[in-house]
Amino acid sequence: MATSKNSGGLRQLLESTYSVIALLFILVACVELCDAAAAVDVYRLIQYDMSGTPFGSRFAALNHHASSLRFPPGADLSRTVLIIPLRELNVTFVREYITQKKPLGGLLFLLPEVLSFKQGGNKQVHEKGKMKKLLMELEQLLVHSNIPYPVYFAFENDDIDTVLADIKKNDAMGQPATATTGGYKLVIPIAEPKKVASPTITNIQGWLSGLKADEDANQLPTIAIVASYDTFGAAPALSWEVTAMEVALWLFLKWQGFSIFSTQTLRQEEAEELDLKVVLKHKKINISDPRVAWEHEQFSRLRVTAATLSGCPVAPELFEGTGGLFDGRQYVNETAIVRGVKLVAESLARHIYGHQGKSAQIFADESSLSVNPAYIRSWLNLLSQTPRVAPYLSKNDPFVMALKKELAGHADEVNVQHENLEGIFTFYDSTSARLNIYQVASVTFDLLLLLVLGSYLIMLFCFLVITTRGVDDLIGLFRRPPSRRVKTA
Amino acid sequence: MTMFHFFNCAILTFGPHAVYYSATPLSEYDTLGTSVKAALVYLGTALVKLVCLATFLQVSENDGFDPYQEILKALIGFIDVAGLYFALTQLTHRNISQNHKFQAVGLGWAFADSVLHRLAPLWVGARGLEFTWDYILQGLEANANLVLSISLAALGSLIWLRKNKPKTLIPIIYACAGIVATMPSITSYLRRGLGWHFPEVVGFELFTSLVMAFISWQLFSACQRPSA
Repeated sequence: MATSKNSGGLRQLLESTYSVIALLFILVACVELCDAAAAVDVYRLIQYDMSGTPFGSRFAALNHHASSLRFPPGADLSRTVLIIPLRELNVTFVREYITQKKPLGGLLFLLPEVLSFKQGGNKQVHEKGKMKKLLMELEQLLVHSNIPYPVYFAFENDDIDTVLADIKKNDAMGQPATATTGGYKLVIPIAEPKKVASPTITNIQGWLSGLKADEDANQLPTIAIVASYDTFGAAPALSWEVTAMEVALWLFLKWQGFSIFSTQTLRQEEAEELDLKVVLKHKKINISDPRVAWEHEQFSRLRVTAATLSGCPVAPELFEGTGGLFDGRQYVNETAIVRGVKLVAESLARHIYGHQGKSAQIFADESSLSVNPAYIRSWLNLLSQTPRVAPYLSKNDPFVMALKKELAGHADEVNVQHENLEGIFTFYDSTSARLNIYQVASVTFDLLLLLVLGSYLIMLFCFLVITTRGVDDLIGLFRRPPSRRVKTA
Repeated sequence: MTMFHFFNCAILTFGPHAVYYSATPLSEYDTLGTSVKAALVYLGTALVKLVCLATFLQVSENDGFDPYQEILKALIGFIDVAGLYFALTQLTHRNISQNHKFQAVGLGWAFADSVLHRLAPLWVGARGLEFTWDYILQGLEANANLVLSISLAALGSLIWLRKNKPKTLIPIIYACAGIVATMPSITSYLRRGLGWHFPEVVGFELFTSLVMAFISWQLFSACQRPSA
């Protein structure tokens, strides 16, 4: 009985090992080993149609060899991806390539790590101004062109830096990477970009009512403060514009219990008290132009007095100043935003409660109504980490929900309106992907290897025949056919 | 360079076995059955070793060289020797001379070893886009393993199948057999204890396999003289 128990236990053990081994084999056969030299997150250039005209990068999938800017002149780049770090960017070169429609496999721009949202905080950026200017130029060029190959943005890191250094070394030797010479291959396995189905823009409205006195002749009309929270940039996944001072202001005002919906013009007195220079600019509006230069002009057309608070002296062009790659968290001056918020809040308060001309500050710095920098900072942090291109924000996007919730916490009534964006604009998806960089050997290498292996096996064969059977047998292997002929003849 | 590279590495890993079989008189005497039986014995031995390793060995977190674990692994490695003994002595072979028997057994043993340990990584890895030298080095290791297996089979047949051996040669035979049998532990020590890289370890294996093959050849021919 003991032996049967033992044998039963042994059988169980054997069975379990069989299943383990079988499982191992299946696992090994199915698992896709990650064998890339590097895998990087990349973000695609925006692709959109405006009134039927295509703009942006029209393709997403990538499977080409990589090359740097030091490629030998005259090389065929139609199946090569150019990797251009921002430091070496020459916008005229890129413009030339795009406007002259020179064939290219793809473009990969490397942005400095400091611009990445993962960095966060206020890192010092050397040559900040130059980089910002370069990026702005590049972005304007890319967003307004029709590019028939994929264009991607990525942040520099150690892996990709070593790969780029290697590529530069290979290029310097005069060998552009092709199938026969080896090098690096960039692969982005992604589906064809599809249109974003019914993109929506979400408007959030909050209403806070003041004290209603029926016979009060001095009752103020409603004041409306309007702010836009969305952005538009070259890479939709990277557009986290932070000149959203307006949003911060708006939220702060809700917090302090202000009512909105009226007209308001800014007073210069309050501005002087806060050491800010405010200039009132009047500008004639072209009613027939469908595009409006400033946001307040929409209201002015409906005969509502309105103004726009902006740091730009001149109205921005289409898609300019809407926040792109260069608008990073570290370019934002928190104190400036706090001051601006205070300015608008003070002037509004004085207008509403009738304190014009008085010098007392309602939102004095030490009082309980002062602007809370931590609050502003936390919202700025959130804004700087959330890409907010409107067509890519779904109806129930968490960011939109967060704004709505914050507003609902301070206003009496909150409404959310969804507007369809079809018509003039069509946007395409596939905004971010994962790039795999493989180091590949050339076909010639494998051919050479085949040659070497073939000769090795032949030599091994001859050696074994000689040692075990003798040299005569080896010669006999090659001599048999003639001897047969001799016999038959 | 995906399927092409896989094909290259496959012929490097498995080609020599086929060449050995066809070049030597093994093909003339149709010893394929012996090789197949030896391969099956190897698979059985591998299973037993797996069970023992799973039962007795502790998994260490770091990749260092632990002497006790290595001694345990070496002891379990002697199950290999037992398997080889079984294949050489207990299996019924057709009338094959001793000379060819050990070659056939060694060949089958080495082929099973290559298939079990190298085919799966080759299939999964060498077909990918990324190029590494690993699979070529693995093929060279398979070659060294073939030579070592045949040497071990030769020494084994000398120890167990040949009755009249010159007295002076017996300790040498046992010593060489011991070295060849503990080759896995030696390479593991080199890789983990001394920190050698894969190419260096493969070079060492190739060199030792040639040396041991030469020594076993000399011993075999020396032992053959009295009976002839």
